[in-house]
Amino acid sequence: MKEDKFEIQAVDFISGSMTEDEARRFEKFLDENPRYQEKFNDLQDAWGMMEEIDSPKPSEKMDEAFFEMLSNEMDKQRSKSSKSGLLSWFPIIFKPQLAYGIFLLALGLGIGYVLAPTTASGPTEVLVANHETEEVRQKLVLTLLEQPSANQRLQGVSEANKFENADEIVIKALLQTLNSDSNVNVRLAAIESLTNYVDNPTVRQGLVQSIPNQESPLLQITLANLMVALQEKASIEPFKQLLQEKQLDTTVKKRIEKSIQSII
Amino acid sequence: MHNLTDNVLMIKVKEGDLDKLGLLYERHKRRLFGFFYHMGNNPSVSEDLVQNVFVRILKYRKSYTGEGSFTAWMFSMARNVNYDHHKKVAKESISREISPEDANSGFEDGLNDQMDHEGNKALLNRALGLLADDKREVLLLSKYRELKFHEIAKILGCTEGAAKVRVHRALKDLKTIFLQLETT
Repeated sequence: MKEDKFEIQAVDFISGSMTEDEARRFEKFLDENPRYQEKFNDLQDAWGMMEEIDSPKPSEKMDEAFFEMLSNEMDKQRSKSSKSGLLSWFPIIFKPQLAYGIFLLALGLGIGYVLAPTTASGPTEVLVANHETEEVRQKLVLTLLEQPSANQRLQGVSEANKFENADEIVIKALLQTLNSDSNVNVRLAAIESLTNYVDNPTVRQGLVQSIPNQESPLLQITLANLMVALQEKASIEPFKQLLQEKQLDTTVKKRIEKSIQSII
Repeated sequence: MHNLTDNVLMIKVKEGDLDKLGLLYERHKRRLFGFFYHMGNNPSVSEDLVQNVFVRILKYRKSYTGEGSFTAWMFSMARNVNYDHHKKVAKESISREISPEDANSGFEDGLNDQMDHEGNKALLNRALGLLADDKREVLLLSKYRELKFHEIAKILGCTEGAAKVRVHRALKDLKTIFLQLETT
């Protein structure tokens, strides 16, 4: 047997790493080779010595130091995990899904902005709607002014006040009310309503023409005040005609004369 | 069975259950201490080195794969710790190490005259101390029956056969030194 092989087998034998067969064969080999047997005995002695070698006990200080180190490490781990709890939100924020979502939202807003109807179309629609409302109101005013009930006619006049720009038809209807309505209150309301359109020559003319037709002192004074305010020189002639009326109230007469003076 | 449990414990440590390292420490502290002590470190240094091994185990716990025994993994770390320590000491050129025979001789010699058995042990410790470092190391590793030779070979970075040959020659040297000490 080669020396190397013997060395390996001897170690296998004493350490108990051999199978029974191998061990038996090795023992037989030793029996047949006393030189190796001697070597083996020395080896076994030394192996036995190693068994006897022991070391002093470590002190309790070693345990203390170890468990202190371990508990420090555990505390560190705990604080780390609580920190990572907070930090774990960041990856969620930067997840590709979320970025994709935000991108889609931005894209949607962009497309919406581009495809949105132009701002000009809005007012057009509002104008159309307003126009329709005006038409309906016009019909309402005309209908209400023809009603037999003074109350409803008053309502009609107040509806007419709501027009931003009353058209010819409404103005004619109001002037007709002013000249021929049986109720003084309705006529007064008509004057009030017509004062909104004094810039319109038709209105001014209509108001001037209605002066001789008015019999109520209340209306005569209201018209006189209005003409003074408007400085309408064309009203002087109708007022002079009115002054010639014998039944004219003296207070009204004075007032009209004063008005004529202030207009001139 | 014991090995398996060690491995399971270490896997738990790896997964963050650091508490389990306490159990592993209790199981192996004596052996590690003995290893460092017989590798020529005084008891206090040996205790520090045991601590260093467990610090390393914690530090490198993620690298533990569970393949092979925990003891083998632990001893390969212990070997590195011992190597690093001696390199450091040599660098500082302050040899604080006191070999076990020196540490013990002072007070043990007197006692040994009376107790022959104890005297043999002291002699044996001295013989071990006089062995070359690599031989002492391989003997100490083979002393722990849990380590198979293929594991010792892995720790030492050689083949299994070479490890056995080293053990054999180390034992032979130990016996020779012991006999020499006995006769003087």
